[in-house]
Amino acid sequence: MVRSRDSHARTTPEWRVGRRRRRAVAGVVSILGLLAALLVGGASAQAAPAEGSAGEEKVLTIAVSQEVDSLSPFLAVRLITTSLGRLMYDFLTNYDPKTGESIPALAEKWETSEDGLTWTYTIRETNWSDGQPVTAEDARWTFDTMMKDEAAATANGNFVENFESVTAPDPRTLVIKLKAPQATMLALDVPILPKHKWENAGDFAKFNNDKEFPVVGNGPWILSEHDVNNSITLVPNKDFWRGAPKFDKLVFRYITDPDAQVEALKAGEVSFVSGLTPAQARSLEGADNITVNKAKGKRFQAITLNPGAKLQDGTEFGDGNKALKDPVVREALVRTIDREAIYKTAYGGFGEANGGYIPSRYSDYHWEPSDAEAVGFDVAKANEILDAAGYAKGADGIRAKDGLKLSFRFNVHANNPQYIQAAEMMREWAKEAGMELKVLPVSEVGALLDAGTYDILTTGWSVNPDPDYILGINRCSGLPAKVGGPYLSDAYYCNPEYDKLYAAQLAELDRAKRAEIVKQMQEILYKDNIFVVWGYADQLEAFRSDVIGSMTPQPDPGGNFNGQDGYWSWWSATPAGEESNEDSGGTTGNTGLVVGVGAAALAALGGAFLVARRRGGATADDRE
Amino acid sequence: MTTNTSSGSARTSPRQLTWARRRRAVATFWREYRRNRAGLFGLAVLSLFVLSALLVPWVVGEEALSVTRPPGEPLQPPSGEFLLGTDRSGRSVLDLVLWGSRVSLTVGFAATFISIAVGGLIGILAGHFHGWLSAALLRVTDWFLVMPTLVLAVALAAVLGRSLSTIIIAIGVTAWPTTARLVRAQTLAVEARPYIERARALGGGHWHVMSRHVLPNVMPIVLAQTTLMVAGAILTESTVAFLGLGDPTVPSWGSTIQAARDTGAVSSGMWWYILPPGIAIALVALAFTLCGRAIEGVLNPRLRSR
Repeated sequence: MVRSRDSHARTTPEWRVGRRRRRAVAGVVSILGLLAALLVGGASAQAAPAEGSAGEEKVLTIAVSQEVDSLSPFLAVRLITTSLGRLMYDFLTNYDPKTGESIPALAEKWETSEDGLTWTYTIRETNWSDGQPVTAEDARWTFDTMMKDEAAATANGNFVENFESVTAPDPRTLVIKLKAPQATMLALDVPILPKHKWENAGDFAKFNNDKEFPVVGNGPWILSEHDVNNSITLVPNKDFWRGAPKFDKLVFRYITDPDAQVEALKAGEVSFVSGLTPAQARSLEGADNITVNKAKGKRFQAITLNPGAKLQDGTEFGDGNKALKDPVVREALVRTIDREAIYKTAYGGFGEANGGYIPSRYSDYHWEPSDAEAVGFDVAKANEILDAAGYAKGADGIRAKDGLKLSFRFNVHANNPQYIQAAEMMREWAKEAGMELKVLPVSEVGALLDAGTYDILTTGWSVNPDPDYILGINRCSGLPAKVGGPYLSDAYYCNPEYDKLYAAQLAELDRAKRAEIVKQMQEILYKDNIFVVWGYADQLEAFRSDVIGSMTPQPDPGGNFNGQDGYWSWWSATPAGEESNEDSGGTTGNTGLVVGVGAAALAALGGAFLVARRRGGATADDRE
Repeated sequence: MTTNTSSGSARTSPRQLTWARRRRAVATFWREYRRNRAGLFGLAVLSLFVLSALLVPWVVGEEALSVTRPPGEPLQPPSGEFLLGTDRSGRSVLDLVLWGSRVSLTVGFAATFISIAVGGLIGILAGHFHGWLSAALLRVTDWFLVMPTLVLAVALAAVLGRSLSTIIIAIGVTAWPTTARLVRAQTLAVEARPYIERARALGGGHWHVMSRHVLPNVMPIVLAQTTLMVAGAILTESTVAFLGLGDPTVPSWGSTIQAARDTGAVSSGMWWYILPPGIAIALVALAFTLCGRAIEGVLNPRLRSR
């Protein structure tokens, strides 16, 4: 169950994702070393040989830093491995990069019964990379295993929760029966696995799919080599039904330091870099043969205000500041947040200040407050409503009422520089309204959340084209059943009205009507001021235009290349000079990275550190 | 008047004698110290930093640290208005470095004080007493001697939260064993001298011997050790802050470098963001080391002659 939290890298909350690599290794390095790096970096920036264009073999090299958790799609939850899953295996459906709607993939067509409870998919006639045919039985086995084996449900279990049964009456037909109607039946982001290779794999909790290379698959790329923490190599699937990829090789190369990644791009050692900082993006914009892609954010940045942590049965626990239960205090706090300034300064102008829960890139589901509805930046108003509510300033300038001081612990992800910077700003604004925010950087907030020992914390979720998952986390039924029990979200939000609408949108098969309900839900969420979204930072990535001629962003245009909900970018990437009659020519993209994983050096400390962290979690935030 | 003075000097009290001797000793010390040019340079640099640390609240003012009302635009290169450019929030890097000196020096001195106090006490005790007490103290010292500062700092930050005091404690707790070892060795040497034996024979107790004879004799070595240790403590503070274990709202040199790195200053060529705090760290550490060496040279004639 804790595992349900990281169900999807696509929707992974930042607090579950590993520590940022750099911190680890980096730190130990001396400062002088750093200075040396600066000089060397400056020097090497000049050289820029184009890799791939010279030899006969066209290689697409992508700089990555996140470690592999598992190559088994049953277990993989990180961005790098879920993305690999999309390249290695076909899914029943894909999202059209232009419209975001579900289009045929492994399922070439489908139909649903009147009551929406029975779905019948027709499986495309293709082969696995070892020559065996892909059949409905493979799909049935994949879903069925996830339903029956808890270990196999680790990563994508939520998709099959509502499944009654899965059958394959013939090799081309897959039938799924549901317990209740489900709007996400065309958004089942589950890699379909080759049964003949997997059924004897043994314990799925331990099988990492890394014994036999190349790994048998049916996606556009075949994983041929995995040199742990060094490189991951894929070769094209020449028989891929949508067409073979155009590069001869796709290599994910490990470069853990973000600055080193950028230098490698400048030097032509890699062709694609993601997760750029605003400053890096700006400096690359002027570089020769490099294209910077600023994609609209797929992820929202937010804070959650602890409204009183409680269990499903209503039992309250934790030690959150009770003042936050007062909607007036919450509104006042939100009024001290200048979202525009956060995106202008901390995100260097690469982002959109917006209070809507679903990012604006998903225009059909996105909702945002009108000017009249907006709880915008207005310190005077914050002071006014707090005065009216009887929160008087004390000698230290901090407001209090009935002994409740408006002094809040603000737990910020230490591995996210933008969060830290925004937190510093919020601290100053709140002070002007007589509220104190104690900025406490933490390496992860999971323990604080489980114990309910926080007042305010930062969060960020990456949102799928289908909003079901991200809406689902805030249901009352998502609250933990016992203290320390599994908790999906990070806001302790519970509003019966919201829950009612959630059920309605899940059962609504008409896209437009469903979107209306989804918007109402966001409005409710916004007005409660518990889950406070700042906006959506752009995903900044850059690639060498002398190696990659064109590739498809998602959404097209304006979307990202790295971490797509699909294989569009790497499948469509065309070597420079060969893009003559390509159908899609997105030239800009981005990356939003669920940032990776702990660094090698800290890995050593890691164990002890995490243990200490977890154990120390409760005390840590009581401290100033 | 004349009588008074003459009679005063004629019947000089032991206290006055002592002070006169001390004054002479300081004068001699200074004369010797002055000969060491590097030591003088270190002292000058150090005075400069200490002075700026003391005066910065009046010269620059705290409003220069505001991230919501910064004086400039973020990440501007050096200009007439901002001699060292601006940071990611639009604050002057020069102001940050000046404010940072407060943090770095505070941590350096506080951590050193802890480690010197603990190390000195344990060193004298372990040197003075023999038997099980000495053995026990030495074993504890050995244990702390092998404890890596960085790992302890990381663990403490996890338990106590990220703050300056955590860093001070972490450095103080790990840095004292070297002092303790040093002081113990010196204590053994001092106690072997004949006049200690005489003091004992005249009825001097443990306390008397330790406080009146041993302590004054180990002080010089402790002083030299202090100056050398401050440099180490400042470097450690910067490292820890650079690892992101410091308090991000406090502008120390280490946290400024870390912020610069997070911003991607290295690959974006923003030298003005990352170099000044780095150079400040190097300068202060160098200054302390030079002073420490010079003091060592004065106190140890064998070093001086070389």
